[in-house]
Amino acid sequence: MNSLTDNSLMLRVKAGDMDKMGLLFERHHRALFGFFYHMTHQKNTSEDLVQNVFYRMLKYRQTFTGEGEFRTWMYHLARNVLHDSVKQNKTLHHYDVNEMADHLAGGALADEGFEKQQDAEQLHKAMETLSSEHREVLVLSRFQELKYDEIANALNITEGTVKVRVHRALGELKKMFVKNESRR
Amino acid sequence: MKAADNDMNCENIKGQLTDWLNHNLTTTDRSEVEKHLIHCLHCQEEFAASRQVWEAMGQMKVPEPSQEMRVQFHAMLDTFKASEKAGHRFSFENLLGKIKSFALPQWSIQLAFSLLLVALGWVIGSKTSRPKIEASTYEQQIDMLAGQVQEMKSTMMLSLIENPSATERLRAVGYTSEITDADERVIEALFATLNNDPNVNVRLVTLEALTQFAKNPAVREGLVKSLAIQDSPMVQVALADVMVKMQEKGSVKALQSLLRKEDLNDLVKNKIEQSIKDLS
Ligand SMILES: [Zn+2]
Repeated sequence: MNSLTDNSLMLRVKAGDMDKMGLLFERHHRALFGFFYHMTHQKNTSEDLVQNVFYRMLKYRQTFTGEGEFRTWMYHLARNVLHDSVKQNKTLHHYDVNEMADHLAGGALADEGFEKQQDAEQLHKAMETLSSEHREVLVLSRFQELKYDEIANALNITEGTVKVRVHRALGELKKMFVKNESRR
Repeated sequence: MKAADNDMNCENIKGQLTDWLNHNLTTTDRSEVEKHLIHCLHCQEEFAASRQVWEAMGQMKVPEPSQEMRVQFHAMLDTFKASEKAGHRFSFENLLGKIKSFALPQWSIQLAFSLLLVALGWVIGSKTSRPKIEASTYEQQIDMLAGQVQEMKSTMMLSLIENPSATERLRAVGYTSEITDADERVIEALFATLNNDPNVNVRLVTLEALTQFAKNPAVREGLVKSLAIQDSPMVQVALADVMVKMQEKGSVKALQSLLRKEDLNDLVKNKIEQSIKDLS
């Protein structure tokens, strides 16, 4: 099934076979959605942002060289899309009230998952307090499972900086999380 | 080991705990960290806390993206292709807005389309998971579903082609490139657009779409008739080209009467004279 690599598909798109983008969409839209969801905590916004990334891949297809990994290039675009959207309106640091209510209702009803649900809730809040620089490296590393060198390429920073940021981000989260925990 | 050495080592190890969690350590560094942890209670505590947070993060739920995402993606892709063809550039916000305004009132079509895709995926899935299913049955199912997808594309095309926005109409025409067996309704709608659409680009793209079905005699006839109707020089020239490409001798009369039209653009005049020569 996966005989065609992402890179070769994207190179075909670049050569004018735009329909190959459909396969790339199937392979990556979920992961991208996850990235945006962890960054914004808003479902609808995240879906729009994902579409925007695929649109930019089409529009800027000539900038894909095929030298690096497709995934790195994709997250590089994703990060820019998020940046632009933050500049236009305040996508970050904003809870969707309905989604919040859903979470709480779900947590109160489900006895078994209550504890974990609470943990997740605390973490959500703790993550909101991180700077976007810290949050993005943490999300890319924890949820998107990118290696440090991939993150470095996607964000145009050095591997050393990635390492430091991930470490600090987790450290901050730990402080916040423990603080929230003890307040229960 | 001296206390100072140990402290330094602890700092070093603490710096690597995160890298241990996200698998960014070499095997050597990894076992180095693990060795230290066995003996150092302080680092163990630190590590346990980090790990707790790391694992709790794993519990954070991400909702499923909605099914419409796929439909919207393909609509975006089609529009993008159509607009590139027509030489237009739209901003993403522009595109998304249009796709969404379309998606709302058309939700039933969208839903049916999504369901079909799901069904198609299911058939393919059942094929891969149960290889015993007979190949012929499987092919029949695929054929049937593919037919339904085609039908759905026709329906979407027909519902879009009368949209007030030129982008939408371009998209509608774009759908026809994926329709292998255009039925009368689709052909009729394309001709209505070719002959009446106020936007020249839409007419040009429609003309191109119609030439795919040039084997159909009714289409050839319709194209010849359209010569008398078109008033835009660009479309007239494009039509003349199509006539030559199809080697449609029946169009010579229509081309000649076009020459008699008043205020005919000189370029068009030359083009048509050349086309008549090529055809006779
Ligand atoms: Zn230690």
